Amino acid sequence: MNHSHASALQSFARNLQWLLTLRLAVQLATVWFFTWGVVILALRIFGVQNIYWLTMGLFAVAPLALVASWRAKKQRAPLTKIRASYDHINACGGIIMSAETLDADAWMAQLPRIAAPRLRWRSGRAFLLLMSSAVFVMITLLLPNRLTHFPGHRLEIGQIVQQLKAEVNVLAQEKIIDPQKSAELQKQLSQLQDDSLGYDPAKTWEALDHIKQSDSDEAHQAAQEALDKTTSLAEAETLAKAMEQAADSGMNATTASQAAQDLASMLSAAKLDDGLLNAQIPPALLAGLTGLNKEQMEKLLQGLEANKGLLSMDVSNLMNLKMIDAATLAKLEAAGLCENPDALADYLSTCTNCDNALLCMRLGKGGPGGGGPGAPMTWSDGASEKDLKFQEHALPPSPHLSQAQLIGVSKAAPQLAGSDISAQHGALDNAAAAGGAANARVILPEQRQAVQTYFKRDN
Amino acid sequence: MPETILKPEELQPVTELARKTLEQLDRILLGRRDLHRLVLIGILSRGHILLEGLPGLGKTALVRTIGQILKLDFKRVQFTPDLMPGDVLGSHILQETASGKRELVFQPGPVFTNILLADEINRASPKTQSAMLETMQENSVTLLGTTRDLPQPFFVLASQNPIELEGTYPLPEAQLDRFLFRVMFDNVDVDVLNQIISERRRGELPPPTWQMERADLQTLFQTMGKIYLPRPVSHYIARLVSATHPGAVEATGPVNSYVSYGASPRAAIAIAEAARANALVAGRPSVGFEDVKTVAPPVLNHRLILNYQARFDRMTPSKLVGELLDQLDETGLNLPKDVELAKV
Repeated sequence: MNHSHASALQSFARNLQWLLTLRLAVQLATVWFFTWGVVILALRIFGVQNIYWLTMGLFAVAPLALVASWRAKKQRAPLTKIRASYDHINACGGIIMSAETLDADAWMAQLPRIAAPRLRWRSGRAFLLLMSSAVFVMITLLLPNRLTHFPGHRLEIGQIVQQLKAEVNVLAQEKIIDPQKSAELQKQLSQLQDDSLGYDPAKTWEALDHIKQSDSDEAHQAAQEALDKTTSLAEAETLAKAMEQAADSGMNATTASQAAQDLASMLSAAKLDDGLLNAQIPPALLAGLTGLNKEQMEKLLQGLEANKGLLSMDVSNLMNLKMIDAATLAKLEAAGLCENPDALADYLSTCTNCDNALLCMRLGKGGPGGGGPGAPMTWSDGASEKDLKFQEHALPPSPHLSQAQLIGVSKAAPQLAGSDISAQHGALDNAAAAGGAANARVILPEQRQAVQTYFKRDN
Repeated sequence: MPETILKPEELQPVTELARKTLEQLDRILLGRRDLHRLVLIGILSRGHILLEGLPGLGKTALVRTIGQILKLDFKRVQFTPDLMPGDVLGSHILQETASGKRELVFQPGPVFTNILLADEINRASPKTQSAMLETMQENSVTLLGTTRDLPQPFFVLASQNPIELEGTYPLPEAQLDRFLFRVMFDNVDVDVLNQIISERRRGELPPPTWQMERADLQTLFQTMGKIYLPRPVSHYIARLVSATHPGAVEATGPVNSYVSYGASPRAAIAIAEAARANALVAGRPSVGFEDVKTVAPPVLNHRLILNYQARFDRMTPSKLVGELLDQLDETGLNLPKDVELAKV
């Protein structure tokens, strides 16, 4: 065969192979992109949000190119057919085909110089589909998370999460938790909100409960700590004020020293600088408690008052978010209050041996004639037993045996209807026994108020 | 199959003979160049041709002119319903010899010629039509147990009128299959008609200025056998004929819908021979796909048997063959539909 025709034929065969390989590669890539996009969409709908792993599908393009090359090579048309096409498209009248088996050089020389047929691939549709599939993959990757979840299956926890975030913020602001833990909790809450799925809410609720319980524990711990410290601060303040007044009234040095020691030990025992809520009192004042002048005492009082205010504000913030109840705040406001600090000041100014001054201040509640167990602590007008007498009450008669009705005779021991034994008639009507029936003590009606007050008291 | 392809200097004189023949035909009979080419191809392929067209279009003139140019004997038979086989093939008649004896002597019919024009062949009875079968296929006549060869070459050029169907006997498929081509005679255009009127008074044809010798005709026939048919082209012919059968692998939708029976293997042979003749006339030593596409319609259009649905939908064999040739990939490369080959 003529050399130019041979080279043109080889060029045609090579171009045809390349074109078919490219076409197959584009088709395979299109199919793969659409499949990949659908898989991404399905995975994201079912909760996989890690885009990094989803983009790994891009690496499948290289094997696809190899597959396309292999398949195109396998489906390659025989050279006879390519030669026939070459002959046909150039209108050689079968001479090129004949040259495969016969000596047709004489005729080949007469053929005009011809080039390899031009291959034209109407690739617009194929590339449009490829671009569409690629855009589809991009969209599935970049789709916002809220669009990849079915609206009906979302778990509506936004409000709860916002509430918890606010709680975490307050805890962080009050330095109840450290900033690192706060950031971690905020991140966990955000992720919970993103990942929450309606068809499997248990995990989300469990996590939310855990965070809420953690916040609540921290808040209660902080509130309890604030209560204790406020109590100590209030008591210290009461004592300090009494000392200040007593000093003006001529408190002797021994009493002043003893009271100062009590005040120091009180502040030391309170451990104001430990725990979640720190109270700050100038160390110079704390160090020189035994020798404070009036001005220093004023500063100490101001410090105590300021710390009480700070603690109260912290607890108020916690209560605003309902992390603690109002009763706790009320307790805080009433903690350590002394209703009659003047009496303590008088006591200090008149006392010559005040070893138990602090003890008296803390435990002095009630007393004879003080009005019962709930009576406030007083430091004046001591109780008097004058004119006190018990009021007599006549007990109602017990039911007579003759009024009893015989229901039946049993050989077994009588059985009680319930665990409580209560009287049905007379003075013991509705009186319930606590504990075992045999040792039950009957509480009389006039004792009931006192007993209830006793059990309701705060330790 | 030839081991060497014809050389240019071998083919060129033969092609010149064909060219001169066509030139004479085109000069004598105006306005039918393609038809003349097809008829010459049919003759070179040694096939019989069915000419179909209205009266007065020059069918007889064509046959007579070919006979004159090729210096072949020419006879014409007008087929009628009462025409008997003996009227065509010949018959034995009782004759008295010189010695006074009487014996049956065979009197050859008009079929003993080189070119037989069977005019309006569809007017003859089936009995007479079938008498033509042996002559067309075997080139011989058998009467009273004696077989007589017809003079060579022998061609039947039959004509039939497509519109006068009353009192006619349509040719059966077996007989149709024996015709290489069915060629349609169409009306000539106005310019040609004007030229005919101007140059042909009373329709008299001018005599040929050149005639082919018998030896030259034999040379043409011999050269036909040396035209190379490449394997891809023969494969294309086989696929083409196979695709005319409904249910075939490459059958088109219309073929599956409208064709009851496709073309026979004789059609494939006919296409191959006609394609060779077309290549020879074109001056090429080998057959190309275009040769096949040129000769396939007249070869196939009378060999497809269509169903009634085709009649309802006015589908014709020519349309079917045209669609088939358009849709079938010649080379079998089967490129995807969105990939095209174009000449640079």
